[in-house]
Amino acid sequence: MNREVPFSSKRMLLTLTLCACAVILLQNHELSQRLSFPLTLGAMAAGLAVCFLFFIPSVLLKSRHNTDALTLLRSRAKPVRALTAAICGASFLYIAVYFLLPYTEMFCKKYYPDASPCLIAFLLLGCCVYAAVKGVNVITRFGIFLFVLAMTTNLLLFGGCVSSLDFQNGGAFLSGKPQDFLQDALYFATPCFIAALFACLCGSAKQFRVRHVTIALLMTGVKYALVLFFIVYAVGAYAARQEYRTFVLSRVAHFGSFSGIESFYMALSTMSVFMILSLLLCGVTKSVGKPGSLPLTAALTGGIFVLHWLAEQFPFIKECFTCPPVLIGFSFLTAVVLPAVLLIQKRRQHA
Amino acid sequence: MYNSLLEITKDLQETFDNSADLTVRTLILQSPERRKAAIITLEGMVDKEGLAQAAINPLMAYRFGAETPAQMVDTILYTVLASSDVTAFEGKEQLLTFISSGFAVITVDGAAKMIAVGAQGFPFRGVSEPESEVVQRGSREGFTEPLRVNMSLIRRRLKSPDLVFEQVTVGEKSRTQLMLCYLRSAASPKLVKELRERLAACDLETVLAAGYLSEYLEDPHTSRLFSGVGISERPDTVCGKLTEGRVAVIADGTPAVMLVPHLFVEEFQGVDDYSNRTYYAAFIRTLKYLSFMVSVFLPALYTAFAQFHPEYFPTWILIKTASSLSQTPLPVTLEVLLITFVYEIMKEAGLRIPKSLGHAVSIVGALVIGESAVTAGIISSSTLMVVATAAICSYVTSPLYPPVTMLRFLLVIVAGVLGLWGIVLCTALVLISMCSKTSLGVPYLSSLSPFSLRTMRDVFVRASWKKLGKHTIKVQNFAETEEIK
Repeated sequence: MNREVPFSSKRMLLTLTLCACAVILLQNHELSQRLSFPLTLGAMAAGLAVCFLFFIPSVLLKSRHNTDALTLLRSRAKPVRALTAAICGASFLYIAVYFLLPYTEMFCKKYYPDASPCLIAFLLLGCCVYAAVKGVNVITRFGIFLFVLAMTTNLLLFGGCVSSLDFQNGGAFLSGKPQDFLQDALYFATPCFIAALFACLCGSAKQFRVRHVTIALLMTGVKYALVLFFIVYAVGAYAARQEYRTFVLSRVAHFGSFSGIESFYMALSTMSVFMILSLLLCGVTKSVGKPGSLPLTAALTGGIFVLHWLAEQFPFIKECFTCPPVLIGFSFLTAVVLPAVLLIQKRRQHA
Repeated sequence: MYNSLLEITKDLQETFDNSADLTVRTLILQSPERRKAAIITLEGMVDKEGLAQAAINPLMAYRFGAETPAQMVDTILYTVLASSDVTAFEGKEQLLTFISSGFAVITVDGAAKMIAVGAQGFPFRGVSEPESEVVQRGSREGFTEPLRVNMSLIRRRLKSPDLVFEQVTVGEKSRTQLMLCYLRSAASPKLVKELRERLAACDLETVLAAGYLSEYLEDPHTSRLFSGVGISERPDTVCGKLTEGRVAVIADGTPAVMLVPHLFVEEFQGVDDYSNRTYYAAFIRTLKYLSFMVSVFLPALYTAFAQFHPEYFPTWILIKTASSLSQTPLPVTLEVLLITFVYEIMKEAGLRIPKSLGHAVSIVGALVIGESAVTAGIISSSTLMVVATAAICSYVTSPLYPPVTMLRFLLVIVAGVLGLWGIVLCTALVLISMCSKTSLGVPYLSSLSPFSLRTMRDVFVRASWKKLGKHTIKVQNFAETEEIK
């Protein structure tokens, strides 16, 4: 099967948005406890602006040379390729564990208290191997179904909370401190990992444009804002004492006697994490120059599992793997430094 | 190459091992040398009366001049025979193919060339309405077993010179004749070429049904859960598909015609959709998609909810389900599996036993397995109702029955072990598998994923004929690579 089949850029856009939504689903618990709604919106705008900047080098590479960083590196000397593969591999493995950890934690705390996080991670990663071997094109096709699920879940989530809206609720959230701004902005900049993925995988997308990235980030921003709005005004002070506030929101949502939206939320978060991990695995195999290789994908998945297990066993490792600045640093290396260096080299060659 | 009549007769008798149905009728022609000729047939394969009128009587009556055997063959071919279906040929290979296909072969002593006369007269089932694709409005004609009859059913509906029938023979022993049927102006030449190559690669000894070949027509290294080859017994359906650029493979001896490329959304399209009003067609399509979802997911969701997430049941259902389940000895997963398994057994028995006994199976199934088992407290009524609903829904999209059944079993097992999360994970895997599947290079989930708004006019809803008739969307346009476009 041809794994390098080019795919529609709109599908890539959809995939990026869904990846960003997954971040919201999992990361919401990390926000400052003394949340101020207006300040948080400001932090969100700042975070997403940083994300946008991360996209610029690879968008330029795509629009000017119709390629991605990894495809361009194929013709370089072996040590350069090895170094790049090491950077991309380390970044993507870190990002994979970064998302797997909060997912398994949320899963075991909120859904199955008896389940072992490692078992959940093992099963999920096993499924990701299958998807990663099928390639990016197939995963973006899967994204279309995920998009339908995301739309349904969002409609149920927000629609089900409308009846609970109480604008007196927001009092607890309107006294935030400006020093939390930076911390919150860092969390909202987490979607920059998508720029790292984009830098490695956009080569196969057709005619990608800046407006696609803008729309993706705007959609993410709207989703963030809606989630925050409903958390503040529908869940209120109760949410301030809770972690995984989006989960709480899904539990609160109801249509008369019909409740249980958290099952949709669980399905969406599971499938989103599944898609992110699969795309990350695709990115690593592509950086090594063996896209779709089953042994390599299985070995990498084994690596992610071991890292996850270590993080579960040792709290200091877990802290390292759930640190947004490190994630942003790795993303910066892959999404900005790598394509920027290649762009400069290309320009010199042409000059 | 044969030189004498005796040689041919001897060789044929050896080849067929003196088979009782091999008939060699020797004639002495009215020529100065009183040259011998023979008509070779297989008993039961030819229409004797037709053969006598078309070949034997004219041969006996004709007065030949002083001609060489080769000239006599030409005279017979162009002057004597009163049949429209005559072919001259040489060699044993073709001789065997013609005889086996019901032709009468005329051979003249001393001539290498032989003549095949189309006088097939074997018994076959007449054209009737296919039981598996019954329609309310539309043609009642369905394909039958002989290839030529099926070809005529298509030709009658598509009177275009663009319609091509291309003959291919497969099966070393069965020598089954196939016809690749396509519209030259609609089908992609690359697609037809690819199909020819795949059929040429078929190394089967016997091909007795369409199913033998469908695996050879599927794309390699692609998921086999869903079929990438469509089957239809209706000439109107096949003609509709041909206009969209598909290729039909008609095999002699089977009324099931294979169609490639085949897409998932086609399983939900019926002939009646195109005769009914658009709003009703849309309603029926939606019903079919919902039934498909219910038949796959309902037993698994019920298992997961009953075993892991009872809070998802509305209170009044929860009370009834809990009281019903508490009276049965088996865990809910085993119960669902058991009833589904028993249902499959009953379905198989119902299909295989004589029709006269079918009622007995229905009574045993409904009374003994259903009512008695619930009354005895072996199974719960809610479980029985869930499995029955899923079973009925699975017949709404009958071509998808095999994958739906397998998925239902798989999901129930997964739901029993991992709950709702297992269903989600399993669904993700199945979706990935479906997204990766292609049928002759065309993504199996085309229209849905890759999504195309233009083609959605015939997916969940059926647009009016004024819109549908304007631009026929060719199936090869769905392909994401240039390989088959």
